[in-house]
Amino acid sequence: MFSYSVVGAELYTGDMLFVMISFIILMFLVGKIAYKPIVKMMQDRSDKIANDIDSAEQSRTEAAELASKRQAELASTREEASGIISQAKDSGQKQRDQIIDDARQDASNLKSAAEKDIERQRQEALANSRKDVASLSVEIASKIISKQLKEDDQKALVDSYIEGLGKQNDTK
Amino acid sequence: MQQPTTTFQFLGLTFNVGNMISILISACLVLLLVWGLSRHITMKPGKGQNLLEYAIDFTNGIVKGSVSGEMGKNLGLWAFTLFLFILIANQLGLFLHVDVSGVSYVKSPTADPVITLTLSLMTLTFAQYLGVRTLGYKRHFENYLKPFSIFIIVNIFEEFTNFLTLGLRLFGNIYAGEMLLTLISGMAVKGGPLMWVVSLPLELAWQGFSVFIGCIQAFIFVTLSSVYISRKIEIEE
Repeated sequence: MFSYSVVGAELYTGDMLFVMISFIILMFLVGKIAYKPIVKMMQDRSDKIANDIDSAEQSRTEAAELASKRQAELASTREEASGIISQAKDSGQKQRDQIIDDARQDASNLKSAAEKDIERQRQEALANSRKDVASLSVEIASKIISKQLKEDDQKALVDSYIEGLGKQNDTK
Repeated sequence: MQQPTTTFQFLGLTFNVGNMISILISACLVLLLVWGLSRHITMKPGKGQNLLEYAIDFTNGIVKGSVSGEMGKNLGLWAFTLFLFILIANQLGLFLHVDVSGVSYVKSPTADPVITLTLSLMTLTFAQYLGVRTLGYKRHFENYLKPFSIFIIVNIFEEFTNFLTLGLRLFGNIYAGEMLLTLISGMAVKGGPLMWVVSLPLELAWQGFSVFIGCIQAFIFVTLSSVYISRKIEIEE
């Protein structure tokens, strides 16, 4: 300005106005076209990055949580499985014992029944022989009474009879 | 050193056609650049978007270096536009210099002190406005009386020198660069084929240096502007 006035040139007031107006218009257009969208996008991007970092942190903790949960589930499943196996073993053992007991019981029952049967048959046989002896003695007595016998004859008779009885017993 | 210009009068104002064309071209280039780079804005940035985001981060970094908080965010667009405009304007004259019968029609608009001083005036007015808006009139003008009331002279003078240095620094750097480029090319034209061989590497080197200077000056302009603004929006101790 001064250098110009020194050499006698006039002051270009119009240029001053022109540069001011063009600068203001330029500023407006640059803001509209480039600056505002770019700054907005930069802001959006920084927001997005912050969000991404947050969500990554969140999903990481979630994943860790899930992993620990799965680990716990796995452990409990394993425990359950071993419980089931031991239970099955127990019940198998029990059943085996039961079966053996039952078999033993059955065997002893059978044995005692057989013993009882044998005893009963023996008793019956004894009772029969006793009845036979009684009837025989009655027969003998009647024979003696009917026939007067000598003592020797009677003795021989009794002996022969007893001998016969023994034979009869043997055959039985 | 007076260069011929084409001017016209309109509504009592003098317009320099060369400056107007250069400003329009610079503004259109800036617009084209950001338009081209911001076509497909996506969450996952492409090449153009990356470049644009880098530029925005860069200018935001300049502003945040001196102005903190919400105000720094609001100044982002202003700093971004100012930086890009000055950068493109500084480079324009290095690649494209259209002279018609001695009058420059396309050159760096920032090689004209009227333009640079207007930019610096805008910046300082903007600083004053922001100072009044954040602090209120009373506290804003009280800042001129600090640290002692006698300092009002120094403070007002400082505003004036800020305005001059901010604009003239940019003008001086760019104008000197263009001037030397014109001298070298003039030397080549006048000196014949031998001078072409000598002046071509010189021109190349100086153009490279001027590109560097142009970038540095755009950065300095935005940095100083945000420093001036930051000093206006806080109460001086």
